[in-house]
Formats: sequence, structure tokens, C-alpha cells
Amino acid sequence: MKRRELFTGPAQPLASTCCKPGVSRMATLIPNALFRTHENEEVRFYDDIIKGKQVMVMMMYANCENFCPLATKRMVDLHHQALAHRIGKDLFMVNVSLKPEEDDPAALEAYAQMHHALLPGWTFLTGDRYDVDTLRYRFFSHDHIGLDEDPEQHAGLMKIINDPAGRWFHADVFASTRTVLEHIQWSDPPKPLAERLEENRKLQERIDRDRAVYGFRKIA
Amino acid sequence: MSQPEPGGESGGAQSAHEAGDAQSLRIDRRTLVKGTVIAGAAAVITSKKTAVFGQSAQSFGGSPSTPAPPALCATRPANSPATTPFVDDLPIPLPALPTLLSPFPTKAANTNAGEAARDAHQAWDAFPPLLFYHSIAAPSLHKFHRDLSPTYLWTFNGRYPGQTFLGHYGLPSLVRFRNSLPIDHPVPAIPEISIHMHNGHTPSESDGFAGDFFGAGLWKDNHYPNVYAGVDQFGGLGDPREAMRSFWYHDHRAEFTAPNNYLGLNGQFILYDSKDPGHELPLPGSLRLPAYYGVTDIPLQLHAILFCPTANGRTEAFIEAAVPAQVDKWIINGKIQPKLTVRRRKYRFRILNTGPAKEWNISLIGSDGLQKPMTVVAVDGNFVQNPFVVNNRTLNIPVATRYDIIIDFSQFAAGTSVYLREAQAQFVGVPTADPAPNLPIGNVAMRFDVVNRELWFPADTPSIPNQLTAMPDPIVPDNTFTWRFTRDGDPLRFRINGQVFDHNRVDHAVLKGSSEEWVLANDVIAGNWTHPVHIHFEEGRIVSRSHTNRDTDGNIVSVDNVPLLPEELGRRDVYRLPAQDRLVIRMRFRDFVGRYLIHCHQMNHEDDFMMVRWDIVETVEELTRKRREIDERRMLAGLPPQYGEDAKKGRLV
Repeated sequence: MKRRELFTGPAQPLASTCCKPGVSRMATLIPNALFRTHENEEVRFYDDIIKGKQVMVMMMYANCENFCPLATKRMVDLHHQALAHRIGKDLFMVNVSLKPEEDDPAALEAYAQMHHALLPGWTFLTGDRYDVDTLRYRFFSHDHIGLDEDPEQHAGLMKIINDPAGRWFHADVFASTRTVLEHIQWSDPPKPLAERLEENRKLQERIDRDRAVYGFRKIA
Repeated sequence: MSQPEPGGESGGAQSAHEAGDAQSLRIDRRTLVKGTVIAGAAAVITSKKTAVFGQSAQSFGGSPSTPAPPALCATRPANSPATTPFVDDLPIPLPALPTLLSPFPTKAANTNAGEAARDAHQAWDAFPPLLFYHSIAAPSLHKFHRDLSPTYLWTFNGRYPGQTFLGHYGLPSLVRFRNSLPIDHPVPAIPEISIHMHNGHTPSESDGFAGDFFGAGLWKDNHYPNVYAGVDQFGGLGDPREAMRSFWYHDHRAEFTAPNNYLGLNGQFILYDSKDPGHELPLPGSLRLPAYYGVTDIPLQLHAILFCPTANGRTEAFIEAAVPAQVDKWIINGKIQPKLTVRRRKYRFRILNTGPAKEWNISLIGSDGLQKPMTVVAVDGNFVQNPFVVNNRTLNIPVATRYDIIIDFSQFAAGTSVYLREAQAQFVGVPTADPAPNLPIGNVAMRFDVVNRELWFPADTPSIPNQLTAMPDPIVPDNTFTWRFTRDGDPLRFRINGQVFDHNRVDHAVLKGSSEEWVLANDVIAGNWTHPVHIHFEEGRIVSRSHTNRDTDGNIVSVDNVPLLPEELGRRDVYRLPAQDRLVIRMRFRDFVGRYLIHCHQMNHEDDFMMVRWDIVETVEELTRKRREIDERRMLAGLPPQYGEDAKKGRLV
């Protein structure tokens, strides 16, 4: 079997359940491999982390000194500033180690502690190299296989998954708070048409107000 | 067309089959009459009265009985299913016919009736729309080949490719794009759309800005003034030398452009004028190129898909976490390896690569295995000054690039075939002998079967004029600006000028009426990425191309000037930018203001944020304010300012 083929199959055969009414399409895309949390609990990735939930997933590793701490700080800020009322209730944060050989649960807990990220609704995961790679390929590849296999080249994107709604988005964790929140909102379950029409009318009011105040449209 | 049973797959399949048959517009005497009527429609529909003859968009789809969502294959197939070459006729996308819209379109967004929020149409009073169209994005089934079962797609008005809009300069039009896509959708596409008419001289609120997407149940009126660029300068309809002919419309939803286009949300858009009037009659000013739409002027819309194995009466397009980069079926106008009967005369083909990622390199091969000439008359919809012949190389077609080519089939004997060759081989799967010496069947994208011209078929057009157009006056730039396309930084990412796309953030501002020299630089040190860079709004002119040679450590050894190819001498809106290349182009920004985009049109790169919002602004005050804000934001992000001290002092830079 070629290495590439290893990456493309789901962790377990799911063809029989795929796409029947009530079965999330995500189940076919997201591996259900075993991982271990920073609290040393064994979890199945799809069943325990993703299934039925809305989750923000990012890759990191504990010894990463440049971008990971910055990204983690950004997520801590988001947790405190904007999402505190949702995290742990209908929205969850997950970090998956890119270097599972180095990162045991204790290392992940130390990392989380150092960055003040031991917060409710936020899980750090480590697991088997193969499962980590499979996950990365699923979430963050745009088919650039060679690059995606290089741990130094993790794209630093955040995947926002809404399993029941069957929606997923990727966001730049360093984008403005407003932009990140918008991405989370995009992954929220689709609202009824009446509610969306009302939001649309409010957006129009904002556009018209910008025009009146600034002479041009400020809101995107 | 019968409607499928609600939710019934077999009913849907039946319907798609019938639709597929109806779509293959075979050019015989009967359909010629029909085709000519269609081709003449653009000329006839100047009267609003005829709008009542327009078909209701509802009859084409968007009906409540949409096909069931696809059951995608769980693992990536090694190959698509086998298909026999040359069994399907090349379909001709039907021309869109004008219709009446209810509620009637308005200058300001009619949000109470469900129109997506937008700025008021800025060209509404100067160019009120005269022709109205309705285009509904909805799921439908399409048969890509006789040997395949129907495929679940997202299409406009139930058709893939979307209907072709045939418009005319001086006849402003308006297309109501309605979103009837399902909430239950195949990951990772998204049922939200923002339709860009590439590369119309379109006011921003109708330009399909990537952040202006709207969800199911909403609609949006895109107003197309159909004027040449330079209205402010030249008055009337603008500068006729800025005419563009072959456009396309496609979804531009931020971060989901690749899957939404892979699933079929695109089509062609043609504009005529007296020089290129959509007919071949000897009228003064007409170049008399082959011009009857669907008869002697034929769109070739290139697509490429990897198919799942056929199961449960469907052959789905494979898509998992992202649109696959490895695809193996070449598709033209919605058919795999189609055939087209051509008469021994000249034909015009409007070639468009809809991507999402594959670059095409085509050539024409005769039955003797030798390359035959194709004459390029337009690139990216713009006439080249002097037509040029391609007969000893391939024509490179990056995503979103358009070529109008003329093939003179009178050079071939009746009863012979000619082949459109694509440099990369596709998977056929049915053992087939090489159709010509040294031409493997996998490299054949389509076949032309040459027959003698019947008496009823339009006679050949005169020879192609040596000069097709004059170039607009040289652009004298007010400013120079550099766009760096890289894959770098920490985290490693596709970036433009050090940043990734954020629809809420403007990264460059220009004053309406000004012009700039833009340097497009692909300075990536590692990797070998080619970016087909697309710039919305006005066409640019390439001044020069250079290539940087580096040693293994990345140090610059030399910088070579690269001579421009004939297709780079005219006006462009897609600029191919291989690694280590720098392109110098010149742009004007006239007539309209608002938010526009520059991005890599390799749609996977684009969805990975390789895109920038830039604004055309009305006043120096707004320009100064936006430029100052851009520099402040860059410095806060640890990036060097773009405009420097001058912006802080409020001076124009």
C-alpha cells in the first residue's frame, strides 16, 4: 500500500453508514482514532471529541517556540473575551499535538498551564503518529501531500467543525477577532430563513449608516 | 422536461438524462434555424417587448423536487470509471433568455423581498438595465458521459455548464442570482454564493466580492452596465478599444470557491458590439469573424473531475476534505471526450478553463499526427492587436484564462477527423487505438469530424483581418505598487504581501481615475508554485517579465528578462506567475468605486486565503484615511508599512 493511500481512507470503514438520513457526513471524513487528553483520558476522536458538537481544532506541539504560543494566546484571548459564554457548552476547543512522540499528556498539561490555557471546554490531545497525520491530512490539506507531511510546515489554520450541521470552515487564528468570530458563526447551525432575513436587514442598515456617516461602506 | 419524483433518485436520473439529451444541440438543418434564431437573439432582444418570450427560470430547475444529496465514495478512487471516447456530441450551453423579474429590480437592495444586503447600484441612473435574467443556483443531476450514471452537481437553472449570457455593449443587463441550494450539502462545499462576472467592468456591489455571499432563500441582483472602461474619460459607453468579448460567471464565495466551482457553479458570458456583432453579415465596422453562437462560434468550457465508482444509479464527482488535485477525466461543455461535426470553413471557439486547479496545454492535431494551426484572436476576452498562429507549441491555459481561437477546417478533407490534444493524459479505461500517430487516446480532449459544408450552412467568413483592434492609449502610472505572492512566514501559509485574506480588511487603496504600475512578484524561495494571478475590474497591460535565478542557498545569481509571448502582448486579467518570476503590469481604475480583489485563481490557493481586498475610492480624503489605516494595521502586525511617511502626513503616495 502506498503511503498516500494510507492517508485517504477513514480510520474505520464507514461506507455503510455514509449519508443516510440522520448520519453526519462528517463521520466519513473524520477519523475515529484513539487519542489521549492532557488529563490522561483515552478518547475516540470522532465519537468523543467531534460527534454532535461544534469544535475549533488546531495543531500545535509543546516545544514549538514561535508560532504555537502566539496561536494559543490568541485562543486564550478569544476564550476570555468573546466565547466564554459558549465554550464548554455548545462550542469546544481542541489542540492536537503534531509531535506525539514528544508530547505525552503531562507535557501537554504543562504547555497548557504555562500559557494559561487550562480552561473549561479546551482539550489537548496526543496520539499515534499515523492518526495525527491522518487528521492533518483530512483537515488541512489541499492536496499538497509533500508539504502536508512535513511537521514544520503546519499551516496554522484553525478548523471549525459543526458536526450536526455538517459544516466546516477554516480560519486564520491571527485574523481579527471579528473575522474569527464570523467564521465560528458561519459554522453555527443554519438559522431559519426569517432570522437570516432579519440579519440581512440589519446588515443593510449598517451599510446605509456607514454611507451616511463616512461616505463609503466601512463594514465588509 | 419532466420533473423528477420528489426525492426519488431514479426519477431525478431520468430527468437528467432527458436534460442531457436536450442539451446536446446537434447542428443539423433544423437546429441551425433554431440556433440562428438564438444567435440573433442578442440583436433582436433590444426591445423589451420580447422579454415576455423569455423562458421562466423555474422551468429549468430550482423546483422543489431537487435530487437527493450524493452518497460520496468514502475512499479516493484510483481512477474514474472507464468511458468510451467520442460517443457524446459536444453540448452547446443554451443561451440565457431575458425574462420579467418580480419583484421588479430596484436601485437599493430590496431586503424586504429577500435581496441580499448591498450598496445601492452606483451605475443605475446612468445605465438603467434593459434586459433582465433569472439564474437559480440549485442542485441538479448531469450526465458527463453515456457510460456514466448522472452526477450530483450545483448548477444555474438546472444546467451544466450554466446558460450563456449573450449581451451587447450599450444594453445594460441585470441578472438576479437566486440561491436555492440545499442546507444538507456535500462537505466541503458551502450552499452560499457570491457571483463574479469575470472580468466585467462592473460596479463593486455587483462584482461578486468574496465576502458578499448570501445563503439559501436569498437572492441578489447583479447590475451589468455593459460599457467599455473609460466612461468618465470618453463619455458615452467609454473607450471602445477597451472592449472585452468572452467573460465567464462563477461563484466566488470566500474559502469555498474551489468546491462550489468543481460542483458546477459557472458559465459563460459574451458581449457583442458592432465590431464583433454575433453574426457574419457584411455590415460596416464588423470584423466578420465566425460569429453564430452555437453554430460557428462555439464555447469550449474546460473542466476536470475525478469520479467515484458508479453506485445506486449515480456516478458522483469525488470530493473529500478538499477538491482533489489529482483528477483524471477531461470535460468539455459537460461531456468527457465529446465529438463535434464541423463544416469545412472557419469556426471560432471560446475556450475557458474553469479550474478549479488544473492547468491545460492544448494543441490541434490532424489525423496524420501532425500539429495543425489555430489562430488566436482574443486572450482573456480581449482582441489581440494582430492575430497569431499557434502551430508549433501548446497554448497554455491557466485557470480562468480565456482564449478565442479560430480554426479553419477547410484545410482538412471531408471525412477526416482533427483532435484537440491536452498535454496531460486522462484516464480512458476502454482500450482504444491511437486515433493518430503519436497521439495516445488519453491525450485527446475532443474530436472534430470534418464534413463538407451543406448549402444551408452559413458560408465561410472572409480571411481573418491582420489587425483586430487598436490598443488603448499607453498607461502612465501615478504610482508603483508591489504584490508579493509567497508561501512563507510562520505559520507557513500562502500570502500576499505578508498577509492572508480577510474580507473585513482592505490592503490597498487607489483613487478612482488614477493608474498604477503593479509588480506581481512570486518570490517564494522554496517550492515551485505557479499562481495564475487574477485582478478584478479593469484589464491590465504587461510591461515586462523577469525571472530570478538563485543558487541552492537561495542567493540571487542573476535576473533575466523573459521575452513576452504573443498572448502576453494584449490586455489581460489573468497573469501566469511561475516561481521566481516578476511581472510588471499597468492598470487603470476608472468609472466605479468599491471593493475589488486580486488573488491567485488556482482556486485551492485562493480558498487557502491567497487573496487580497483592494478598494477604489472616490476622494483623496478616503484614500488618505484608508492608506493610513492600512499602514497602522501592518505595523501592529509586525509588517513594514506600505506607504511610509507620506501616508502618515496625509499626502498622496
